[in-house]
Amino acid sequence: MLRKLALGGIKSRFRDYAVLFSGLVIASAVFYMFMALATNKDFLNQNSSVGMTSFIFGLGEVLLVIITTVYIVYANSFLMSMRQRDYAMFMMLGAKSRKIAQLIFIETVTVGILAAAVGVVVGVGLTGLVGQLLMAQLHAPATHFAALWLPALLATFAFFVLMFVVAAFVNAHNLLKTPVLALLHAAQTPNRLQLKPLRLTVQAILALVLLGIGYWAMQQLGTLQIAGLALALVTIVLGSYFLFNSLLVWLIGLLKKNQRFAAKNLRTFTLSQLSFRIRDYTKILAVVSILFALALGAITTGMGFERDIPTLASMQNTYDVVTVDATASTQAEAKKLTGVTSQTAYHLKADQKHVYFDAAELAKNPLLLVTTYRLGGVTPTKVTAQNFAKAADMAPQQLTQFLTKADFGKNVTVASAAQFAALGGKTHVATTYQVSDFRANYDVIEKLANTTAKQNGFKSADEAGQKFAYYSLINGIFSGMAFMGFFLGIAFLAMLASTLMFKILSGANYDQGRYLMLQKIGVRPQLLRRSIRQEIGALFFFPGLLGVVHVLFGLQLFKGLIQQPYHNLYIPFGIFIVLYGLYYLITVWLYERIVVKKDIATD
Amino acid sequence: MTQQPVVSVHDVTKIYGKAGEKQYQALKGVTFDVQPGEFVGIMGASGSGKTTLLNILSTLDRPTAGSVAINGKDVTGLKGNQLSDFRAQQVGFIFQDFNLLENLTARENIALPKALQNVSHKQQQAAVDKIATTLGIEGVLDHYPTELSGGQKQRVAAARALVQQPAILFGDEPTGALDSQSARELLNTMKHLNEQEHVSILLVTHDPFSASYAQRILFIKDGQIGQELVHGDKTQEQFYQEILSTLGTFQQ
Ligand SMILES: Nc1ncnc2c1ncn2[C@@H]1O[C@H](COP(=O)(O)OP(=O)(O)OP(=O)(O)O)[C@@H](O)[C@H]1O
Ligand SMILES: [Mg+2]
Repeated sequence: MLRKLALGGIKSRFRDYAVLFSGLVIASAVFYMFMALATNKDFLNQNSSVGMTSFIFGLGEVLLVIITTVYIVYANSFLMSMRQRDYAMFMMLGAKSRKIAQLIFIETVTVGILAAAVGVVVGVGLTGLVGQLLMAQLHAPATHFAALWLPALLATFAFFVLMFVVAAFVNAHNLLKTPVLALLHAAQTPNRLQLKPLRLTVQAILALVLLGIGYWAMQQLGTLQIAGLALALVTIVLGSYFLFNSLLVWLIGLLKKNQRFAAKNLRTFTLSQLSFRIRDYTKILAVVSILFALALGAITTGMGFERDIPTLASMQNTYDVVTVDATASTQAEAKKLTGVTSQTAYHLKADQKHVYFDAAELAKNPLLLVTTYRLGGVTPTKVTAQNFAKAADMAPQQLTQFLTKADFGKNVTVASAAQFAALGGKTHVATTYQVSDFRANYDVIEKLANTTAKQNGFKSADEAGQKFAYYSLINGIFSGMAFMGFFLGIAFLAMLASTLMFKILSGANYDQGRYLMLQKIGVRPQLLRRSIRQEIGALFFFPGLLGVVHVLFGLQLFKGLIQQPYHNLYIPFGIFIVLYGLYYLITVWLYERIVVKKDIATD
Repeated sequence: MTQQPVVSVHDVTKIYGKAGEKQYQALKGVTFDVQPGEFVGIMGASGSGKTTLLNILSTLDRPTAGSVAINGKDVTGLKGNQLSDFRAQQVGFIFQDFNLLENLTARENIALPKALQNVSHKQQQAAVDKIATTLGIEGVLDHYPTELSGGQKQRVAAARALVQQPAILFGDEPTGALDSQSARELLNTMKHLNEQEHVSILLVTHDPFSASYAQRILFIKDGQIGQELVHGDKTQEQFYQEILSTLGTFQQ
């Protein structure tokens, strides 16, 4: 009988449960995605060049546990808010407390287990899908990567079940302690905005100090090591929370007090909507700002590593590929290169001891050789007959790619045009190619480099001194990091989306009545929509802003690992802000569809 | 009196349910007028169509056929912003279940219709204070709805309906959720508004005592107006008795 009642409750509020359930499924799926990397030690060791990776994942694990806990606690209070009236009703009808407690327990744990089970399945699917996509995109081998990873599965399941068992106890306990009347009216109890200036000021100062310490700790990671990460974690999470708690309360209070401002249109209402549930909001906003930072940070770092691959490869070799005595089929293949920025043919001749470039050709098209080494990219030296000897001395490997195996080891030098013309023997043609995007041409370059090497007697592109060899070497080291960055970025983005969506849609039911009421007393629908856009806009904007600040300081963590962590930030930030903006529009649209009736008179 | 009626209802019918589905005719040709300054009661058994009628008059619903004019303006064709503005400016509505916004204080609730017209803050507050004094709720303006008694909530709702000085005030069993003391207070307030401020009132109720405050009562049965009682020079007690006996015969 009890079980029937408990499950009946789920049936009767399907949409709310759908929101709750899909939110929890995403949360557990993301948890699984993260764990699929974090608990796979072989994968981490193989795919990262940095000893710190496991620290960073450790930090991530703690953060994710905090975030998921807030999420579950929040989901749980949503579950309770849906059910407490029913429970109160059962109690009024004389149900025994023990029975009610049992009922709550069954319901809470059932929801938790179901969500975890479905979430893990979704997580495995997403992990596989995202993993495959990224591996193909980045040409990342990602060795030992596994979509179905038992330790992650167990960790996710154990965490969710544990959390929900605890939540079930807390729920049962709370419900039995709350007076029946309060339960019946819980949704309508307003939260009077506490405007205690002293407390607000203390919180605001505390928030700034905490954030300051956190940002400093990230910068001082070199000296602080793990302690620094732990410190940053604690201070930034708390700092974000206090900042929202003080800033938002202060801001809303200020705007409401400015009566000229507040007395227009629906502003009082919009502000009250925000302040009405401010306690919920501050926690969620803190979580959203951290998720925002994690997602954006991970994607930015991923891009940084990804960008480093061609940069580092170019520090070894200017030419993306060099063909020597290209056959017709090689030439045909070379035609497939896209975005070719330069293509130059050099003629070479060889005698017993020497290989000669033509001075006239070099004067026209100087060779571009990397002779200096500097962090953050290099400008290659233009090499002509004048400085050839010195350059050849400094960069002998880069000349190998112009040679056949037969000439390998001979002294490479320059002959004047006349001397060159007089030289006998076979003339070799070496054609250099530079393309704007190495990665986009990866497959063609690989083929060209390998066939050229084989054709001219080298065992491999590596031996022939082709850039491709460096590139794949560096790619092997860095693409693992880029892979992790993008993978986690996508996972956190999903979680961010689901958190905001959940927060906002879970309030829609209560708001529906309010908006209908407003329409009945003659508020224009467009004014309601504006109020909604503003309310949701505030929820998106503030955590987004703080998230950006977190990332700007957080990139300090990667100073030693990425050439220029702050270079071209507008690309990841731009992409992310566009996604976030789209997400905002979708949320507003969904919300308006639920709460604003087109025309209340027509139905 | 040849004044333009404030409410003019002509041959209004309402059929619920779309063609082809199960249909139910809730109103079967209702016609009546309310003159400016009149206090009219509408009575009828449960399910007789009172709420349906009131919703149509207050533009919350549309009639299937027939016309409704408020202050001479046909409201059945209004759409979009016109409709919203009409609701905000011309009609006041007190609902059975208060319908206050529980995240606003009483003062903010009452000021809302004024704020929508972008009236200055000062004028808003002056209007709120005036109507609150009339209704006797000046002491609880800074309370949230959950901090008010049922009677106070209903008076706050009335204040919100009246702050715009609408052409007519509609009430759908506004005393339904109140104890007899609070109900009596609210009715006295309405009577006062009607007599002193000349607010036209249309009150739906099935409580004979509430109805006895009206100057004229329309009885509705199965979607039609069946009978009309006029207060005239009778005392309220006499009128009350007359309503009781009419109900007795009318219901059969
Ligand atoms: N949305 C609707 N769809 C279909 N039928 C409806 C709808 N609303 C009301 N009805 C029907 O129309 C009739 C009149 O309903 P109405 O709500 O107007 O009654 P009422 O006089 O206000 O009753 P009460 O005194 O109980 O409030 C009832 O039989 C009801 O079942
Ligand atoms: Mg009714």
